Amino acid sequence: MPLAIITGSSRGLGLALARALAERGWALVLDARGGAELERAARELGAITEVVALPGDVADDWHRGALVESAGEKIDLLVNNASLLGPSPQPPLGRYPLDTLERVYQVNVLAPLALTQLVLPRMADGDAIVNVSSDAALEPYAGWGGYGSSKAALDQLTAILAEEHPALRIYSVDPGDMRTRMHQEAFPGEDISDRPPPEASVPGLIRLIEGTLPSGRYLARELTPAEPALR
Amino acid sequence: MTALAFEIAPDLEAHEPPEARGVPRDGVRLLVAQRSSGAIEHRTFRDLPELLGPGDVLVINVSATIPAAVPARRAGGAGAVRVHFATRAPHLDDDWRVVEIRSADGSRPARLPAGERLTLRGGASLELVAPYASGQRLMLARFCCELLVDDYLERHGEPIRYSHISKPWPLEAYQNVYAISPGSAEMPSAGRPFTRELMSRLVARGVTIAPITLHAGVSSPESHEPPFPEWFEVPERTAQTICDARHGGGRVIAVGTTVVRALESATAADGCACARSGWTGLVVTPECGVRAVDGMITGWHEPEASHLMMLEAVAGPELLHASYAAAVDAGYLWHEFGDSHLILP
Repeated sequence: MPLAIITGSSRGLGLALARALAERGWALVLDARGGAELERAARELGAITEVVALPGDVADDWHRGALVESAGEKIDLLVNNASLLGPSPQPPLGRYPLDTLERVYQVNVLAPLALTQLVLPRMADGDAIVNVSSDAALEPYAGWGGYGSSKAALDQLTAILAEEHPALRIYSVDPGDMRTRMHQEAFPGEDISDRPPPEASVPGLIRLIEGTLPSGRYLARELTPAEPALR
Repeated sequence: MTALAFEIAPDLEAHEPPEARGVPRDGVRLLVAQRSSGAIEHRTFRDLPELLGPGDVLVINVSATIPAAVPARRAGGAGAVRVHFATRAPHLDDDWRVVEIRSADGSRPARLPAGERLTLRGGASLELVAPYASGQRLMLARFCCELLVDDYLERHGEPIRYSHISKPWPLEAYQNVYAISPGSAEMPSAGRPFTRELMSRLVARGVTIAPITLHAGVSSPESHEPPFPEWFEVPERTAQTICDARHGGGRVIAVGTTVVRALESATAADGCACARSGWTGLVVTPECGVRAVDGMITGWHEPEASHLMMLEAVAGPELLHASYAAAVDAGYLWHEFGDSHLILP
């Protein structure tokens, strides 16, 4: 049974992806800060597959160690999905509080790299690391300086890790705009009900995870869900 | 591929099932094209047992057609459309579907924005969530109703019908005699000419018949996009039968493009099929060639259909051009209720 660690998996994209992987026979290690929501997710998915759920903060090194230890000796997939938007509404860079920015970078950049460092020795050729990115990593949207620059850093870490580990598949993926709590925080007071729910990005993510696409940066909703050939 | 240049005159289109023209299912015409000799022969479908022999394997798709088209209304009185339920959405729950939105009479595609909610016949609703896999014509949608999608369609749906079919026909007209597993939005129509009696005669002749399942999505004839992923299953026993035929000198004949897609998706480089199921995005082209099949039975396709690339992979360009020229000359009928084409090695 293949095993995946998914961070930020008590709601939104992380939970939608965890559901799809559970259906497909993956054992899961789930992580989130919110204990009650995580427990609900673990109960639901525990009925389908083997689940370990650990509440905690990915910026905390003890918690990261616990996630990897509870996954065991062989880890087939790491999905760095947990991220921090920053203040809502997001301040312009000219008066962005630096202590908050530091925290955004800890969660969005350092934690994914730290988890990667821990899982690399437990991965075999062909295993995958998926870092969830954003179009804000590429586009200079006003007000997105904190989150956007952290995701740009994550993209570049991903690209370099891919060069350094050619036998693994290391992706950064933009899931597209989604109707999630983080998206609502990014647009406080706005109606975001026209954004697709996170499930719309799941088929593309599964293609990355279970397919053979080369390492790189992808748009989840533009990926065809099946491999061109199952050969 | 060198484009096949031909136009289908309206009188070459089959507008109704052959039975409605007084021709039994197995009475449609069969053009036989042999790759080794380049010979082309005009026969009738019921002659098939004479054209095959002991040890040959006919692989059939036992997916049954579902009534996948439903009339729908847009919100705020913005008009009526028609929803074609193409496939389940890969890797998502059953209420997620891949759909195509068409004009109210089904004659042409209709482009609607993501986020719209449609009211379907019988009170169900459908949220158009996002474009599907960045394509232009299909959308990812979420179905909302007390009924499961399949039960709902059985009660409220109609067979998908494009403009060349002049009036509605019952679902049975779109069902192969051996179809047992509902799931195809469009009929896997290459198998339509088979009758129970013809299948008995094939068995008596020593021909082996082996099943696969591939739930066919929508072809939407106006678009020239390659086919989207479809769910398929090649059972262990069928894979074994094909390998045995390969080693024993029998020919593997696929009944329809869906069978070629499924078998080629389950075949290793050495030409041996494996038991396999899942979603396949395989598009068979002359460049990739075919490994699992030696020949096929198929209908007559539109000039730009991506199916023609697959046919070229099986028949080779010269024979395919000659077949289509001969079929146009002899007035063969096109589309799902039309005549047949047997490509032999």
